[in-house]
Amino acid sequence: MSSSRKKVLLKVIILGESSVGKTSLMNQYVNRKFSNQYKATIGADFLTKEVTVDDRTVTMQIWDTAGQERFQSLGVAFYRGADCCVLVFDVTAPNTFKSLDSWRDEFLIQASPREPENFPFVLLGNKVDLEPRAISSKRAQQWCQSKNNIPYFETSAKEGLNVEQAFLAIAKNALAQQNSTFDLYNEFPDQIKLTNTQKPSSNGDSCAC
Amino acid sequence: MIPPQELLEENPNITNYIDEDSADNNLKDNEDWTRKKKHVFILSSAGKPIYSRYGNEDKLAWLFGVMQTLVSFVQSSGDCIKSIHAANTLFVFLVKKPLILVAVSKAQDGVQQLTSELSYVFNQITSILTLTRLNKIYEQRQNYDLRRLLAGVERLIDHLLDYSETEPSFFLGAVECLPLSLSVRDTINSAIVAACNKIKNLVFVILLAKNKLISLIRMKKYCLHPADLHLIFNLVQASESLKNSESWTPLCLPRFDSSVKPNSILLKKLRRGNCLEAINESLNVKDESYTTADFQEIRHYLYKCKSTAQFYQPSIGPPYTQTTEHLINVYKRAHHKLHSTVRPLKLIFERNSKEAILAWDTKGFELYIVFEPLIDTTKAISFVGKLLNWIKKKEERIFHLNAPTL
Repeated sequence: MSSSRKKVLLKVIILGESSVGKTSLMNQYVNRKFSNQYKATIGADFLTKEVTVDDRTVTMQIWDTAGQERFQSLGVAFYRGADCCVLVFDVTAPNTFKSLDSWRDEFLIQASPREPENFPFVLLGNKVDLEPRAISSKRAQQWCQSKNNIPYFETSAKEGLNVEQAFLAIAKNALAQQNSTFDLYNEFPDQIKLTNTQKPSSNGDSCAC
Repeated sequence: MIPPQELLEENPNITNYIDEDSADNNLKDNEDWTRKKKHVFILSSAGKPIYSRYGNEDKLAWLFGVMQTLVSFVQSSGDCIKSIHAANTLFVFLVKKPLILVAVSKAQDGVQQLTSELSYVFNQITSILTLTRLNKIYEQRQNYDLRRLLAGVERLIDHLLDYSETEPSFFLGAVECLPLSLSVRDTINSAIVAACNKIKNLVFVILLAKNKLISLIRMKKYCLHPADLHLIFNLVQASESLKNSESWTPLCLPRFDSSVKPNSILLKKLRRGNCLEAINESLNVKDESYTTADFQEIRHYLYKCKSTAQFYQPSIGPPYTQTTEHLINVYKRAHHKLHSTVRPLKLIFERNSKEAILAWDTKGFELYIVFEPLIDTTKAISFVGKLLNWIKKKEERIFHLNAPTL
């Protein structure tokens, strides 16, 4: 029982234009595999990965989404209750960077988190193994700063570069968010009711004897 | 309900997950898990796992994602997914905000039955947390991991599901009484009334033994729904502490109060208490089972009295001593046919190589009789009258009628 208390499950949603490597990143992270073959995700893909963050066992429930518009009709509920949103772009394809704003906005509208300005996002610039580079680190970092300091990682799903680190940061960010909002919600708000019922309870005891 | 083809056509592969070698080996490795006849899953509206009857829900997190997506996808067209029928597997969804409950069954249950089992599970959760609280939690935090609050409740749910597979009371929507002579029952009732009259705001007093009702005394203006009684029975059965000592447990009865306020229920083993002790002793001695000696070709039967929502069954004997679940399934199927929403039936007689069953739904009662497979039809029907007469004679013993009120 106490172990289940420590366990945490995080819902992580991966978003970005089609073919930026969302599925490849997830596969590299969970299965340590990469394939050059492109297979569009239809609807959504799901994977589970367990990580340890500061002595806590964290289960990441990774929701990989389809970048292609025609597969995006999964419903509003799909995005709800996410703990972290990972935005991915391709460093060699400028259009995938430009559309980040709309992905971010779209997510905030659909998921409608309580505090949109503090919602944990992480940005991944993928395919750093490829040339020519179209979006510099600096440009990406500037965008991140303008969005309330989103953490930025440059990754290569193909070479496994930075993937582990990026996902660890994702887990940490989501956890930090959970902890900071923890007080909002009282785990045992029913104390009043105990005192309410105390009288009949004690009466009952004396009666049965 | 959406036909599966339509789901598939629009979204040919909602989850292209299990393909290729993306080995989350959980399923492949675990044939045990895939072979289970009936799975039950509970998840939050966000798709976070809360409960899985079998297997570690953390490891199955991806599967919960799939379930939530199916629900979300159908919701986006202003509809609500109820069931998916695939060969001999039935997937039933119960979307009860803020939770989603899913049953996956290969046991030939009907959609209605599975839905009702899922409601029981949902009610079990609200009986502990109350619906108000549950809603509040998710209003504040859609991403809440409800397992935090339900530690220990899994056991209750496990027990409830096992219980519903071996007990007719759930699908019948009735409770079983401990057979007692009228005078003994009257003595118990008056003892309870005398003892409890002094207690203010006491709404119900329930005395039970081995999952059978001995006495239910209520405040005049309140009634207790059998579904709520089942939750209490389940709680008592599944909790060791309740069996061994006096205890106080706050409990919300979902059917009684649409769970705006939690009712606190005093659950007690009335083993102590000067007047009750002697009676309780005689109870144990009198725990005789009514056999069907007069009706040799009857193997077992269920009689539900509708007005009291109580039922009677003889103890289960051969050939079902080891296969109670099979017998329960025979009953469930018959019950399903009588109460089918598409085409309800009044009277059924069915025969197969294992047994014959007669099921009859009338205004006042429901009767289910399981016979030897080779029984003659006219003989079977003549037994019905005899059995009904016998039950009528024993009525006062086997049912708890005319309970006094507080």
